[in-house]
Amino acid sequence: MAFTTEELTGGITKVTLGGRLDIDGAAAVDSQMNMIAGSRKAVLVDLRGVSYLGSMGLRALVAPARALKSRGGKMVLFGPNDFVDKVLKASGINTMIPVHYEMKSALAALE
Amino acid sequence: MTVNGKNQVQDRLALRSRLSEMAQVPAWIEGLAGQYGIPDHIQLAMNLCLEEAVSNIIRHGYARDTERSIVLNFTMPREGFFVFAVEDEAPRFNPLDGPELGALNECDDPRVGGQGIRFLRRFADRLEYEPMPGGNRLLMGFSASGMAPRNS
Repeated sequence: MAFTTEELTGGITKVTLGGRLDIDGAAAVDSQMNMIAGSRKAVLVDLRGVSYLGSMGLRALVAPARALKSRGGKMVLFGPNDFVDKVLKASGINTMIPVHYEMKSALAALE
Repeated sequence: MTVNGKNQVQDRLALRSRLSEMAQVPAWIEGLAGQYGIPDHIQLAMNLCLEEAVSNIIRHGYARDTERSIVLNFTMPREGFFVFAVEDEAPRFNPLDGPELGALNECDDPRVGGQGIRFLRRFADRLEYEPMPGGNRLLMGFSASGMAPRNS
């Protein structure tokens, strides 16, 4: 599971994930996601490179999102493919963490 | 899922009851996809459903006993219709019984693990449960066209 970060203007941190967010993928990014959630205020998670999302992968998104929110921060998800989008909707995670399909709206949601 | 009276297993994957064993599933599905012409979007659904079913057996059915057996049997009873039978030796439990947990929301404790049945119902075209002597069998059917054939 690939994991990179980029600091954007306006204090937004873009986290780019790539590969399968399955049991192994989730384990690979857990600690990094939690570290980001503990130290940043506005996080955009770019899912364009994520080919698969399972329930362990959901956990890797939900836990940091909640941690961020408890600190007054925000997370948004961006660019899921059709399958990942279907998983997000089936689980209801899209009602907890906003999902955006355009970068412009994703960034605007974090300002 | 009756199959014209035949249920000849065309491929099988035997796992020990360890979460690490689940890493074998995606490659197995990829191999089946190449052999039986399974479309990409169906492969993803299969991955999700098998991941949910197997991880629940490991965590709950076997209570994390790592020396038990889980067998995944694959059949293609008709062109474009693929069936997995997930067999275990855990205490009798029909995952299809009972209400499905609600979707995640802001107010709930993190219950991400409870999404398994929800995913099975949404991503598999057919689901059936059969008790077995000493265990359980969960059948999951996937249709390449999205329209699963009815049982005869």
